[in-house]
Amino acid sequence: MEKYEKLEKVGEGTYGKVYKAKEKATGQLVALKKTRLEMDEEGIPPTALREVSLLQMLSQSLYIVRLLSVEHVDKAMNKPLLYLVFEYLDTDLKKFIDSHRKGPNPTPLPPSLVQSFLFQLCKGVAHCHSHGVLHRDLKPQNLLLDQQKGILKIADLGLGRAFTVPLKSYTHEIVTLWYRAPEVLLGSTHYSTGVDMWSVGCIFAEMVRRQALFPGDSEFQQLLNIFRLLGTPSEEQWPGVTSLRDWHVYPRWEPQNLARAVPSLGPEGVDLLLKMLKYNPAERISAKAALDHPYFDSLDKSQF
Amino acid sequence: MATNFWTSSHYKQLLDQEDVDMVNPLDKEKGITLEDFKLIKIHMANYISKLAQNVKVRQRVVATAVTYMRRVYTRKSLTEYDPRLVAPTCLYLASKAEESTVQARLLVFYIKKLYSDDKYRFEIKDILEMEMKILEALNYYLVVFHPYRSLSQLLQDAGLNDINMTQVTWGLVNDTYKMDLILVHPPHLIALACIYIASVQREKDTTVWFEELRVDMNVVKNISMEILDFYEGNRMITEDRISAALNKLGFRS
Repeated sequence: MEKYEKLEKVGEGTYGKVYKAKEKATGQLVALKKTRLEMDEEGIPPTALREVSLLQMLSQSLYIVRLLSVEHVDKAMNKPLLYLVFEYLDTDLKKFIDSHRKGPNPTPLPPSLVQSFLFQLCKGVAHCHSHGVLHRDLKPQNLLLDQQKGILKIADLGLGRAFTVPLKSYTHEIVTLWYRAPEVLLGSTHYSTGVDMWSVGCIFAEMVRRQALFPGDSEFQQLLNIFRLLGTPSEEQWPGVTSLRDWHVYPRWEPQNLARAVPSLGPEGVDLLLKMLKYNPAERISAKAALDHPYFDSLDKSQF
Repeated sequence: MATNFWTSSHYKQLLDQEDVDMVNPLDKEKGITLEDFKLIKIHMANYISKLAQNVKVRQRVVATAVTYMRRVYTRKSLTEYDPRLVAPTCLYLASKAEESTVQARLLVFYIKKLYSDDKYRFEIKDILEMEMKILEALNYYLVVFHPYRSLSQLLQDAGLNDINMTQVTWGLVNDTYKMDLILVHPPHLIALACIYIASVQREKDTTVWFEELRVDMNVVKNISMEILDFYEGNRMITEDRISAALNKLGFRS
């Protein structure tokens, strides 16, 4: 680890601290993510092994933050650590949206940028899904941006795969519920790629609105927020919903016009958003299919 | 573990034959020739299979373990990475990566049972230490694609999926791990080479089927030749030759 000079702590990831650092030899900026290795009499835990190697495999994609190397630190007195060394990107989508909302002259995100970011996000998600990996915690904070080049990359991936999505991170910071799919909130145990697509939909809407679509502060509140906008789901719409573990009797809200929640978005964008926010996970659009949606017709795809 | 070979790290890691056949300078100094190098790797692949039969893991785990072992020796020397420890550790690591973990103490038990020789004696802590070294040598790339999956799909497609052809080709694929083919060729081409050999042997006419596949038949035929050459040469491998090769390394004696 002497190869790197830690510059500052840039975040508390769900699974460990993240530092901005510089590789001494090259001056290249990197993000260091510390992961404790809970070694026991059976060496490196299989979960950690699988996670690191999945990450190693997935980070070959342009739309996934690149894992540059893995450093193993084993000091006699302390627990062994793995440092994951990632490429460093200067900002994330949350900060970027914030900068367009707050500050001296707030302006909407240019529609072509929203389109480009969403396309790259779908590319990255499609890549994960084609490898059988769910992200399960997609949110603006986990989407890193290279502002100059207009590039978006998915981060904080793979390390969550073996666990259930935690409510609290190890630092007891509350994990946000805003992007969580209704089937997860309702206690479904057999969820699939649709959970990520729900999050993608919420992020899409948030880029357009510059504020979260469903900002709930408890699981119950979160569900009510969703139901109030999209209507309370019915068995016809979503077979099996009323037998999910955490289903209760809810007020029967009628669906609102989604276009009004994203007033600056054109009809094709609204159509894609609706397909991402389908209640029935089986009907939700896949990342791969989303890439071919007419909303992206006006995008110059040759640049990707 | 993963589903898409072409976007995988395995695909991007395919090597040239010359790189695989490079004897590490440290080993060369000890008089290890390319022949010795190959012999030792065959011996270690056999050792992994034997151990695997005892601890009862699937063939897939064996295949992954042998691939790890072969990858390690494209980067590290036999001198610094004692193959007698690397082989069981690769099996240990592969069992974790393929989600059928084998306990280290069980491995140690069967190593002792298989080899009374002191040079094979290792303790749990040796395996755990070597595990970390192997992980680093592999640069944490643990996903490996094997010919087995394409084999059954291809046999079905060719209408050759009777029990006999399945067994013959499956056996051929198992034997390819005694060579470095998995480091050099995409798995589906290895599967095709095995089908090619089996169909010639069993006098099944597959010419049209092979023609309709859009693959480079020259590569398939070259792989087939390599497998046949291996069988030819395999008869000459004796315990003595293996011991002689291992003795050149002169570990702990």
